Amino acid sequence: MLAKLKRFDWLMFAAMLALIAVGTVSIWSAGNARSEALFHGMWRSNLVTAAVGLVLYLVLAFADYRRYLGALAIPAYAVAVAFLVAVLAVGSTVYGGRRWLWFFQPSEISKLCVIALLASLFGSGGERMAALRPTFRGFALAAVLVGVPAMLILAEPDLGTTLTLVPAALAMLLVAGVWRRGLVTLVALGGIAALAMLGAVYEAEKPGASPERSELIRRMLPLRPHQLRRVKVFLFPEADLTDAGYNLRQAKISIGSGGFSGKGIGRGETNHLKYLPQAISMNDFIFCVYAEETGFVGSSALLALFGLLLLSGCRVAFVSSDGRGRLFAVGFTTLVFAHVYVNIAMSIGLVPITGLPLPFISSGRTFLVTVMCGLGIIQSVSIHREKTI
Amino acid sequence: MNRDEQPVVSGLSCLVLAAVFAAGLLHLGVRLKEVQVDDSADYSYANARQSVRRVQTAGVRGRILDRKGRVLAANRRSVSITCQPTAFQKRTWEATAEAIEQAVSNVAAAIGRPSPLSAKAVRRHIRQSLAMPLFVWRDIGERELAVFSEREREFPGFAVEESVERHYPEGALAAHVIGYVGRDRGEAEAGDEKFNFVTPELRGRSGLEAYYDSFMRGVSGERKLLVDARGFAIRRWTVVESQRGPDLQLTLDVAIQEEVERQLRGEIGACAVIDPISGGVLALASSPGYDPNTFVPSLSPEIYARYATDPAKPLLNRATGGLYAPGSTFKPVTAIAGLEAGWPEHESYDCTGTFALGSMRLRCSSRWGHGELDVRHALMKSCNPFFCNLAVIAGTNAVVVAARAFGLGAKTGIDLGVDAAGVVPDGEWKMRTYREPWYPGDLAQMAIGQGMLLATPLQMARVAGAVGTGWLVTPRLKLDAPVERVPLPFAAAHVAVVRDGMRMVVAGDGESHGTGWRGGEGVPVPVSGKTGTAEIGMGERRRKNTWFVAYAPSERPRIAVAMVIENGESGGGTTAPKVCAVLKAAFREGGS
Repeated sequence: MLAKLKRFDWLMFAAMLALIAVGTVSIWSAGNARSEALFHGMWRSNLVTAAVGLVLYLVLAFADYRRYLGALAIPAYAVAVAFLVAVLAVGSTVYGGRRWLWFFQPSEISKLCVIALLASLFGSGGERMAALRPTFRGFALAAVLVGVPAMLILAEPDLGTTLTLVPAALAMLLVAGVWRRGLVTLVALGGIAALAMLGAVYEAEKPGASPERSELIRRMLPLRPHQLRRVKVFLFPEADLTDAGYNLRQAKISIGSGGFSGKGIGRGETNHLKYLPQAISMNDFIFCVYAEETGFVGSSALLALFGLLLLSGCRVAFVSSDGRGRLFAVGFTTLVFAHVYVNIAMSIGLVPITGLPLPFISSGRTFLVTVMCGLGIIQSVSIHREKTI
Repeated sequence: MNRDEQPVVSGLSCLVLAAVFAAGLLHLGVRLKEVQVDDSADYSYANARQSVRRVQTAGVRGRILDRKGRVLAANRRSVSITCQPTAFQKRTWEATAEAIEQAVSNVAAAIGRPSPLSAKAVRRHIRQSLAMPLFVWRDIGERELAVFSEREREFPGFAVEESVERHYPEGALAAHVIGYVGRDRGEAEAGDEKFNFVTPELRGRSGLEAYYDSFMRGVSGERKLLVDARGFAIRRWTVVESQRGPDLQLTLDVAIQEEVERQLRGEIGACAVIDPISGGVLALASSPGYDPNTFVPSLSPEIYARYATDPAKPLLNRATGGLYAPGSTFKPVTAIAGLEAGWPEHESYDCTGTFALGSMRLRCSSRWGHGELDVRHALMKSCNPFFCNLAVIAGTNAVVVAARAFGLGAKTGIDLGVDAAGVVPDGEWKMRTYREPWYPGDLAQMAIGQGMLLATPLQMARVAGAVGTGWLVTPRLKLDAPVERVPLPFAAAHVAVVRDGMRMVVAGDGESHGTGWRGGEGVPVPVSGKTGTAEIGMGERRRKNTWFVAYAPSERPRIAVAMVIENGESGGGTTAPKVCAVLKAAFREGGS
């Protein structure tokens, strides 16, 4: 046990606890601004959730992942896909998306399950996988395993979750060397397609574009109206200050007016005066609440904490001698990184607005528990880094 | 090393990944520095603009004055007890609302007046106008002010705020003309981008207060409030002072108005007095009336119920909105129609006391008939058969055309919200309204101002004035409004005949009295007039509305009057003496 504690990554653990504390304070501040009493106690339920998450974290960390990852990955994946189907059938609708099953969001859990399955399959040193890995068949297998849950999540619809799962899976396949040449080409093509889409939206929405032509382009684009609007706001942030443009504008005012040292905890004006959209101030836009109240000092400290967490994850992957452990650490840290990057970047208009929580800071029980479980497994990889079992 | 044991993931890729993460976070850090440090001032400015609440402050309304400058509507200082929500700031809105309610009930006990605010009103104020003071007791009395001021220190968060209330120094005088005001709720209009709050402004709800509302309304000012993170006001300052609205000077003459109201006291009726040359309304009254001060600061439900259920309808302006059969006061119009249709001015008609047309018989006021009389004497004696006969000879169209030329059946155009058009019936109108054809009997009834014909006292004053001057004026209350008038489209000689007749109604023909002889007694100038007694209802419910219309002096008239008294005895007996008193007052005042 003492040896285990020695190999326990205390720095990563401390970073996580600090992030939970920051999140709880931010949720307290955002919740207080709401008139509904329901939200005033949200910070307390966040702590309770974190406590539950911590128990799971420690269990997963001190148990040997090599024993449970391979055994649990396939059943967990099957259950997750079953939940995703169930949520489409009987789930409840919140803000236009069908994401909830009873008290949790299956899409969050499924991200962990997909990464675990990919890690246990492509990370194993077995002969069959070794043969499969460099081939297109290896890629096809991975594509099906990721694609089925991704499509189900996309149907909810939850574009944000899909957008973080895909880079995590791609990072895993790339570092595992699955169909390397084909994959690189594919990623390049995807990037070109995304740029082309951006260009097409620009052509359709630029000032002075002829209406008929714009309409034609819009009909050809595979974007829903609200997505088109968000891309438009991203390209022309000042053109339309209602609706999506208003959200971005208020997000930037929140963050920018925080200045260097912030306005003080609980004193954020845009949040408390309800300029910041209330429906998402505790979730997707919570970074604005935090950055307004703590300023650049606070937001760079937050980035540093995330950096500590993510680089510790990379270190665990680096020191691990086991392919599955490494691959899991790579996949899950990439997932967390994607969440952090996209969430903060959208708040300052670097990427189009996408519904996506900021790990540990946003209020959301399923996601918090999911992330803590994932980090627990990474901790287990750190503890059980030796080759012997 | 065994291939099986070699990790499938190279250590290098872990380092590359770490580099990607670091670069990503660094990128965010650099961009955050741009937003939070480099451009922070811009965003702070945008934020500060959002934290300032703009308040539109109400301007003071202009006064209403009579033609000689007597004040009919003014503003008085009013004291209210207000509550500043900032002082009761609690963690939740609900707790804040409860704290305010508790504090209000403490003050209520101290000053001995119950809180007029509902729980809903308090919460609405917190939700919508948090930064503004909440007016708890508006327009409190001296005693309450004294009690509150003495103990003000016990009630932090409460203050005495001065505002302005409308005041009508003459009380019920000309109430229907002046009208009354109400107060809007202090909410910015939907779509008003400029202001967050609006202080409740007085709005005209009736009479001139409503008609000239935008004219008298002051120019609003602007105040700014700096609010904290929760929307409570921290600091306030005035940007633009509000300005007082212009005074509204009326053509109304308080001396005449007072006499008119004295004559109407205790009666149900109305009177209009106009200058037949300019159209200026010298007096306009309706009885019973009301005191517009009872609408300040707001109309209590009890008083409103009393007004609403009173069968005499005190809120109704009968002078411009009351529709009456004009009775014999319409005969000058019939006379013109007949003369225009070719009836010679000296042609006589033999009145036998009844007028028979088919199965219909119309009685004359003289039981055994007036005998032979011409049109002048028919007016003087108010002979029914004469005018029935005249109308039948002239035809419906001639009478209708004449009535319309005198402005009947149409709005007068007075600058007041209530301006009833009345009815000048014809075949088409009757078919549309009653689905019945027009009978000759209808024409005979109309000839003597009965049947379906309806007019307001103001319209009839205008008719009298038009006979006297030859011009039909548009009545107006605002002194500097332009004069609008049109000449009567009749031969001057015909109008002169009717003038003779109306002069004889009051002055007689040297041998006998006219029906309106009481209308000119003691008036320093010659008076011309016409009586009217309109019978309405049947059997038990038969009542008489008695009229007198007049203009004076008979040559170049300067005043025209019409008065109706409901349930009177006769036009000559009941109403003519009252009009006479009005005329005496008007010409005693140095001749208006």
